[in-house]
Amino acid sequence: MDSEDDMQDAWGGESDGNLSNENEEEDEEVSQSNEPDYGFDDFAADDDINPSSRLPQSNYTILSEADIRQRQDEAINTITNFLSVSKMEAGILLRHFKWSVSKVNDEWFADEESVRKCVGLTATRAENRRRSQTENLKCAICFEMHPLSRMKASPGCGHYFCETCWTGYIHTAINDGPGCLTLRCADPVCGSAIGEDMVLGLVVEEDRLKYKRYLLRSFVEDNRKAKWCPAPGCEYAVELGFVSGAGSYDVVCKCSHNFCWNCLEEAHRPVDCETVARWILKNSAESENMNWILANSKPCPKCKRPIEKNQGCMHITCTPPCKFEFCWLCLGAWTDHGERTGGFYACNRYEAAKQEGVYDEADRRRDMAKNSLERYTHYYERWATNESSRAKAFSDLIQMQAVHIEKLSDKQCQPVSQLKFVTEAWLQIVECRRVLKWTYAYGYYLPNHEHAKRHFFEYLQGEAEAGLERLHQCAEKDLQEFLEGDTWQNNFNDFRTKLAGLTSVTRTYFEKIVRALENGLQDVVQGQGAQGSHVAQGSRRR
Amino acid sequence: MSGTTANSNLPRRIIKETQRLLSEPAPGISASPSEENLRYFNVMILGPTQSPYEGGVFKLELFLPEEYPMAAPKVRFLTKIYHPNIDKLGRICLDILKDKWSPALQIRTVLLSIQALLSAPNPDDPLAENIAKHWKTDEAQAVATAREWTRLYATGA
Repeated sequence: MDSEDDMQDAWGGESDGNLSNENEEEDEEVSQSNEPDYGFDDFAADDDINPSSRLPQSNYTILSEADIRQRQDEAINTITNFLSVSKMEAGILLRHFKWSVSKVNDEWFADEESVRKCVGLTATRAENRRRSQTENLKCAICFEMHPLSRMKASPGCGHYFCETCWTGYIHTAINDGPGCLTLRCADPVCGSAIGEDMVLGLVVEEDRLKYKRYLLRSFVEDNRKAKWCPAPGCEYAVELGFVSGAGSYDVVCKCSHNFCWNCLEEAHRPVDCETVARWILKNSAESENMNWILANSKPCPKCKRPIEKNQGCMHITCTPPCKFEFCWLCLGAWTDHGERTGGFYACNRYEAAKQEGVYDEADRRRDMAKNSLERYTHYYERWATNESSRAKAFSDLIQMQAVHIEKLSDKQCQPVSQLKFVTEAWLQIVECRRVLKWTYAYGYYLPNHEHAKRHFFEYLQGEAEAGLERLHQCAEKDLQEFLEGDTWQNNFNDFRTKLAGLTSVTRTYFEKIVRALENGLQDVVQGQGAQGSHVAQGSRRR
Repeated sequence: MSGTTANSNLPRRIIKETQRLLSEPAPGISASPSEENLRYFNVMILGPTQSPYEGGVFKLELFLPEEYPMAAPKVRFLTKIYHPNIDKLGRICLDILKDKWSPALQIRTVLLSIQALLSAPNPDDPLAENIAKHWKTDEAQAVATAREWTRLYATGA
């Protein structure tokens, strides 16, 4: 297939904008020269190439705590203005309606009375008569008489309790969890909401911090559009704008964690959330152990414990307390063995029985388990290898940004801003490793009987692997020369062109493969029975 | 915390509630604190008239946790009772004992609510699943069973 030189010819120092034309021409050449029609370059030739475009960006925003606070303030201000309510009341309404400004508006204007009742913003006041500051009142919680100055009324309903009891009441609620955000008056039949003003005015510092934390968290945790980044120790949240039709939820947090917003596992395009869940379960499941045991052991004929025969003769003695002695081949008692069964170490009872078909069933089961285990191991190993490769590439990227870029800038007398293409290349490698890794989970679940699809899939995967190797090689080995030796400026420009070109073509290829797999390899179904070239053309028309 | 220390700094509210429970008991209800632990009450509730529990005397235990009155008292039937909201361990399904608790409620109000629950079982919010089912499919028969249990377990003794 394409050698590295071919690749370079294709780029030939052209700017990105001209790449597609260049490739169109090559397309024809390739078809004429009878090579497979779905090469790496062909794939790249589709559509126009925009170096800045990664995988289709879904619409999402990374929110820091300060951003969240700002959003909360904005929402509260909007509601305050629209509904002419206090900020505290706006906060209560927004928390009740999961921070959806439009929902608050809709519900409020549909039936203000029932919304007020529901969230506890009732206008009914307990007792409204004027009280003199010297008057003594009985607190209905501690049953003590207090002067009015030591009593406090909830601003919403006017129910009086002493300050100590209010504080205790609120303290208990805060320590019970986020339910404190919808706290109601301590009077059992009142139901009037206790807002943050009153809460923060009464409690000790520790409770203040907890309460404020719950306030902040509610914006993310109650909100259907926002989730916390699942990376350990990360404090960012991700807010989703709208979901793209493709149904991909992959997002990249500012902490650089790349995850699926929907299932919160690591990013897994082109595989869907359900497959990922199955794959992860499979990787961790006990079932693989069972398969191994089935494939590599036989149960002791007496105590039924599985025994692995890793060496030695056919005379097996089970471990204590069983100690049963038997023949590995026929599983019969060793005492029945001797000259008449063909000798101690060559049990012909087994051979005879096998010819009669006695052991076929058990053997077949073992074979099947062994095959399925081998099949799984095949995919798992490649999945895991690509993962460690991705992790390595990621640490290389960090190293590159931290040390090598500056070194390169010195050696090649290039401003750092001109070396962005190196980081771009490494970012692409990390991303490709991730995609490639998940194609193995995809391959594992691709039904065996769909031969055409499987064939096509393996071809695409092989091309992807080869293309990525080229890029990886260039970014790693070729770059090394420029980092270590003194080289001509001119030469470096060639390197730039080559690496940038490879990055771009690899990116495009991977975008295509992701789309093709997400489509369930639809093109194959359309062109079932057709040759590879038809398949490729079907895809290109898309 | 041991009984004696708990007793020595018993909040005024508990003392007052106890005094009032003893001096002006609610009709059909008696509650008296245990001598060793003043937060533990022995309670008796008379089966309300016109209910299947009429004529029965039901024993309960009531305990005021450390956080009381910020947290609800813990109450449990000691006498066996056939009721859709009370399970075989005597645990009671009643909102004010859980999320609807308010520190402005009292032992008295809690016990009155339990008495009311005996008059008006609520099989739509069941604790004892099979009793609730019985109640909904054949109320007359369920009531008869409740009456029978009252006679067996809540009289005499």
